[in-house]
Amino acid sequence: MDRSLHPLTWWIWAGALAISAARQSSVLISIAMVGVVAIVVTFKSEDAPWAHSFAWALKLGLWIFAIRTLTGILIGIPIPGRILFSIPVLPLPSWMAGIRIGGDVTLERLSLTAHEGVMLATIVALLGAAASLSSPHRLLRSLPIMIYEFGVAVVIATSLIPQLVTSTIRIREAQRLRGQDVRGLRNWKRVALPLLEDSLSRSLDLAAAMDARGYGFSKKRSRYRPNSWHFREILICLSAIAAVAWPLLALPASMTALALAPNLKVKQKSSVER
Amino acid sequence: MISFTNVSLIYPTSTKTIFEDLSFTVNEGELVLVMGATGSGKSSLLRLINGLIPHHTGGILAGDICVNGISTREVKPGGLAHLIGIVGQNPINGFVTDKVEEELAFGMEALNLPADIMRKRVEEVLDLLSLAHLRNRSIATLSGGEQQRVAIGSALVMHPKVLVLDEPTSALDPIAAEEVLSILHRLVHDLGLTVVISEHKLERVIQFADRILHIKGDGQAQIGTPEVILQTSDIAPPIVHLARALGLPAISLTVRDMRRSTEELRRDISLPNTQPEEGLHSEVIAVRGISLSYGHTKALDKVSLSIGEGEIVAIMGRNGAGKSTLLKSIAGILQPTQGQISILGNIPSSLHGKERRMCIGFIPQEPSDLLYGQSVMGECTSADRENEIDSGSTFELLRSLVPGISPKTHPRDLSEGQRLALALSVVLSSHPKILILDEPTRGLDYSAKNSLVATLNAAASHGCVVILATHDVELVAEVATRVVFIADGEIVADGRTLDVLLSSPAFAPQVAKIMSPVPWLTVKNVVDAIGLVKPLRPAE
Repeated sequence: MDRSLHPLTWWIWAGALAISAARQSSVLISIAMVGVVAIVVTFKSEDAPWAHSFAWALKLGLWIFAIRTLTGILIGIPIPGRILFSIPVLPLPSWMAGIRIGGDVTLERLSLTAHEGVMLATIVALLGAAASLSSPHRLLRSLPIMIYEFGVAVVIATSLIPQLVTSTIRIREAQRLRGQDVRGLRNWKRVALPLLEDSLSRSLDLAAAMDARGYGFSKKRSRYRPNSWHFREILICLSAIAAVAWPLLALPASMTALALAPNLKVKQKSSVER
Repeated sequence: MISFTNVSLIYPTSTKTIFEDLSFTVNEGELVLVMGATGSGKSSLLRLINGLIPHHTGGILAGDICVNGISTREVKPGGLAHLIGIVGQNPINGFVTDKVEEELAFGMEALNLPADIMRKRVEEVLDLLSLAHLRNRSIATLSGGEQQRVAIGSALVMHPKVLVLDEPTSALDPIAAEEVLSILHRLVHDLGLTVVISEHKLERVIQFADRILHIKGDGQAQIGTPEVILQTSDIAPPIVHLARALGLPAISLTVRDMRRSTEELRRDISLPNTQPEEGLHSEVIAVRGISLSYGHTKALDKVSLSIGEGEIVAIMGRNGAGKSTLLKSIAGILQPTQGQISILGNIPSSLHGKERRMCIGFIPQEPSDLLYGQSVMGECTSADRENEIDSGSTFELLRSLVPGISPKTHPRDLSEGQRLALALSVVLSSHPKILILDEPTRGLDYSAKNSLVATLNAAASHGCVVILATHDVELVAEVATRVVFIADGEIVADGRTLDVLLSSPAFAPQVAKIMSPVPWLTVKNVVDAIGLVKPLRPAE
């Protein structure tokens, strides 16, 4: 691929898919969507630090699912149905009326919380995929010129975060090699102090470099290779928007056919993309 | 092009004068080398040229600095961006964008240049620095030499008249350094660019310099041709030390000239065929067929190595060849996917706490990563406490490495050499069996390097195994008993320092190039051998 896509493309695509997933609220469709997105990410993401966002988002999604399910079991409105098991009810003071901790766990309650967990995780994973597929720096460059200055400040901040992570790893390694225990609260100073000093000097270096290269000297800025919209970007966005629009147009004649249709559409899109 | 008139500089929180009444001019199309001990103010001088000092960092400046007729007093660094390109010590810290092409365009965008001019200039620079094939690459994935070229490129797109570089080759292997320097040489000769460059490894740059600015460290500085400055200066590359040791009347700065003046010496020598004793050392480190990969890239591929007591092993190779990975595996911080490492029968990753300290000492690329104390003394006493040794012994060790270090100084305020010495004494205070150093000579001047050599030799003579990864051929020639050469994660050469260094022209030290085919690596080798065979001329 010679020209990289407009950085907003994947965000619109993922956003539309997320809306579609939320509207349809079907676990099957959501899981299928994450699967399709995962395929797109594996084939389309570049070798860059932000490409790991999807993996991180998936992990985060699993955590969200687990926590949501757990809290759903422990706390919540009692929903009648088939009782699977029950846990003892925690006695709460009278002013906390309406909240119950523990009690009977019904199949209906469990499936509802699990369902919500999946939906949340799907949306997080979809946004993570968008972050994986487009460079945050390029995304900021395509923002309107008025907030460009702000954008550059964000660029510095975002470029420092991955650096912070690598510095932390490096310093912890070094301290471990000195035979130091780097875990625990008591030893946080051993990592935090060198880390703070390291990142401060890095930021100063970056600021000096930007200063020396004339950043902020001219009130106006020109743009090298402005991002543009082409057929491919439109196609990708349309494919996802179609996934939102499809169930709105067709009447719910058969639920299964409808549920699968947007999903097919997405799959079709990803094959176009290849 | 650049003129300093009665410049004095003092930092507000310090009592030390950095420069005092400094006056000199640099002409157009000149390559000026700034040399001096660490902490003498080389970086400060470079930053004065485009006004980063005092505009960016503060400081009290007297006198006047003019570049192309513009005084830095009135104009901020940004206003000189079209005139002066500056490349910092760690270019990676100065990159703003993540793609090569966008990085090149960043400065021009800031100055609001029209898009068509930007396109043209980016193409020019891509060709000039042979970066065209990297244009769409992410900067983070480039090698050190490539990153340095991108940094130079992003300064050149502004069409500056002056290019200022702070230690551009200190992190590079000899071949990448050669590449960067020859590009600078071409820019000076073809485009009439004025270049001011600071560098510790004089042997790399000396042949390109038109003049040298020697910063003495006491506020004074001297400028002149390399021949004049190096005649008397205490900082000098091996080639000059050789000329001095041989008592040659004039010093030459290129290997070619030096070969001519030592022709007689080489012809007359007939070396006794000395075969150094192949002593059977008891094995300390055994590396057996280890492989390790990061994602899809293989960092180490079935590496086997056996290192014995008292050996000083230098690991050499290109940037990214797998040197650090090998060191970290030996130290037990990385777990090889295949193969085994044993250190005196222990698996290195299973060592913890005191046991680890007494077995392996590791100095990382940034020695300050090890340090967290608020003062030199604090650092030393905590090392004493950890190792349960007499209080004050670590500081005593530090004193013997670098005399005159104040116990109250914050480790961050030390010079590179002093910081390395502090890290070394903290690590050595537990008397480890193995000492591992990753790139120890970044930013070290010759005197710091000499004290490092002495420390390593002393450690080795007590039976400690020393392993160091480095690009510094001269250091390897001075200190190593054995060289292991790594390329693409495999060992391609392993043998006596002499044999390995002499077999590759790019990695041969200066003295070896001059004296080839006679197998001498250092000035000391030459002096010892001449004394041994027959004194040609009285040394000095």
